[in-house]
Amino acid sequence: MLKSYLFILAFVLYGHSLAHPLRLSLCEIEYSSKRQLLTINLKLFLTDVNEAIVFDPYSKELAFCQPNESAEANQMLMEYVNRFFFVKANKKKVDLKIKSKRLSGEGENTALWVYFEYEQPAPLSSMEIKNAVFTDLFFDQNNIVYVHLDGASKSMMLNKKTPSHQLKF
Amino acid sequence: MRKSNSNYLILLLFTILIGSCKEKSNSTDSKTETEEELVQRALEIHKRVLTLDTHADTPLRMIEPGFDMAERHDPNETGSKVDYPRMKEGDLDAIFFAAFVAQDIRDDDGNSRAKTLCLQMIDSVIASTERNSNIVGLALNPGDAYALEKEGKRAIYIGIENGYPIGNDLSNVEEYFNKGVRYITLVHSSNNDLADSATDENGAEHGGISEFGSKVVGEMNRLGIMVDVSHGNDSVFYDAIKLSKAPIIASHSNARAVTKHQRNMTDEMLQLMAENGGVVQLTMLADYLREAPPNAARDSAVAALRANMKPISEMTDEERSALRTSFQELNQKFPNPPATVEHVADHIDHIVKVAGIDHVGIGCDFDGGGGIEGVFDASEVMNITIELVRRGYTEEQIEKIWGGNLIRVFKEVQAIADEIQAKASST
Repeated sequence: MLKSYLFILAFVLYGHSLAHPLRLSLCEIEYSSKRQLLTINLKLFLTDVNEAIVFDPYSKELAFCQPNESAEANQMLMEYVNRFFFVKANKKKVDLKIKSKRLSGEGENTALWVYFEYEQPAPLSSMEIKNAVFTDLFFDQNNIVYVHLDGASKSMMLNKKTPSHQLKF
Repeated sequence: MRKSNSNYLILLLFTILIGSCKEKSNSTDSKTETEEELVQRALEIHKRVLTLDTHADTPLRMIEPGFDMAERHDPNETGSKVDYPRMKEGDLDAIFFAAFVAQDIRDDDGNSRAKTLCLQMIDSVIASTERNSNIVGLALNPGDAYALEKEGKRAIYIGIENGYPIGNDLSNVEEYFNKGVRYITLVHSSNNDLADSATDENGAEHGGISEFGSKVVGEMNRLGIMVDVSHGNDSVFYDAIKLSKAPIIASHSNARAVTKHQRNMTDEMLQLMAENGGVVQLTMLADYLREAPPNAARDSAVAALRANMKPISEMTDEERSALRTSFQELNQKFPNPPATVEHVADHIDHIVKVAGIDHVGIGCDFDGGGGIEGVFDASEVMNITIELVRRGYTEEQIEKIWGGNLIRVFKEVQAIADEIQAKASST
C-alpha cells in the first residue's frame, strides 16, 4: 500500500509543477497499530531543497543520493527540516532520523524523498503535525499532508498562515 | 498595479451608490469618452451581466485547517485567491469549484483512496455553502446562477478536475452527479484510465480517450455532466468531439496560436469547438498566456551574489538569514515580466476571430496557479471586463464571454441528457 502512496505523491508534484506554478510539497504520515510503526515520507522538490539549504536551486554541492553525496548533506538537510517540520505523537515530538532517501523525476521536476520510521508502541490518541517547509522561501508555499491511521485517511493543507494542526483520535 | 485596482474598486463602489438613480445606457462616444468614463461604463456592464468563472481549485484550500471561506484573505500573504468576500468585491457571481485529485497508481486501492479524497473535498464545498447560506448557494442547474444572483448570493457549482476518482466503476459518475458535480475534466497532468494527458512525459497511452473513458463520456451525456477536455492531449479533444452527444467544454485552456503551449488549443481545434457548439474558457495562468522572456539582469545579479558567498557550512544563522534577504531583494528588484489582462484579451480576440463570440468564456484557475497582474485573485476579475470594453466589446458580447456561453452549453448538455433518459425509458 505504501508503494501506491508514493505514486500519488509523485504524480501530484509532477503534474502541478508542469501545469500549475503552485508551490507544493507533500508529506505522507502513516500509522499502523498492528506494526506499532509510524512512518513519514516527505517529498520535496530538489530545487527547493537546494535553494533552502545552499541558496542555489541547481547546486550540485550536496549531490543528494549521488555517489558523491556530500558528507554534510544529511546533517544540513535535517537542520533545515527540523526548523520547519515536526510530528508529535501523543504530544511527544518524534525524533526524526533519516531511514532512506531517493530521487525521482527529471529536471525541474526532480523530487527528493526523505523517509523516516518511528516505533510507536502506545496507541495513538493525538498527532500534531507542523509542516512549514519552504515557507521561508515562498509566501504561497502549500504543504499537503496525508495522514493514514489504520486505514482511515485525513488530508490537510498546511502553509505559512497555518503551519501546524493537531488531530485527535 | 495594486494602486490602479484600488481605483477600480473605488469606482465600483461609486457605481453601486449611484446605480439606483442613474439611467442605464450602453451608448458611448469613443471620441469623447474619458478613461474614467470607460472604466465606469465597464463596471456597470460587469455588474449587470452574470459573471461565471468555470475553474477554481479552491476545494484544496478548504482542507486547510481553519480556512474560512467567509473571511477575506490576503493573496499576497497566504496565496489564497478565492473566498466569498473577494467574490463579492470582484462582483464574481458564480464559480465552479473543482475537486482536484492527483493521479495515483491505477489499481483498486488507489481508486478507492482517490474517491475518498474527492468526496472529502466535495463535502467541504457543500458544507461551506450550507454554513454561508446567507451569501452563497449551491447551484446545480444552469438557471440557479441567475436565481441566486437575484437573491444577492454567489452561485457555487461543483466540478471534478481529473476523472481518476471514477476509478473503473461507471456507477461513480452518477454518485458524483448526485453530489452536485456538473463537469468532469477527463484527465489531469498524467495519463489515467480514461484518457491521455497533454503533459505526460511518457507520451500517449490510449491514443486519446480509452474504451472505458468512452463509456464515461456516454454516462456523463446521460446524466447531464459537461465533458471537460482541458489537460487532455489533442487526441482527447478530437475523440471527445466525436464521442460526446452534447457540446463539450475546455474549462481552462487558451489559444495555441497566441501562446505556444501544449495545454492550449490550436486554431483547428477552436474551429471544431465552434462547430460542436462548445466553449473554451480562458485561464489566467501566465505560462499559457505569454512566453516569458529571459531575465538576464536578475540572473547576473544572483550569480554575482553567489560568487561572493562564503561556504554555507561556515555561516552563522544570522548570516544565512541576511543572505536570504539579499536574494529575495534581488527577486523583487528584477521580477519576471508579468502576464497581464492585455494578454488575456489577446487570447479572447483570437478565439473570437477563429471560433466566434459564442465559444469563449473565463476559467481563471484560481488556487490552482492562476492569477496574473491585474487579475491576481477573485476581487480583481472586473479588470477583464474593463479591458474588453476598452477593446470595443459590447455588453451583449461580454455577457456571452462572462457566462452566457457556458450556461448555453450547460443547458444543451442537460437537454440532451433529458432526451437520452426519455428515450431509454420509452424502450
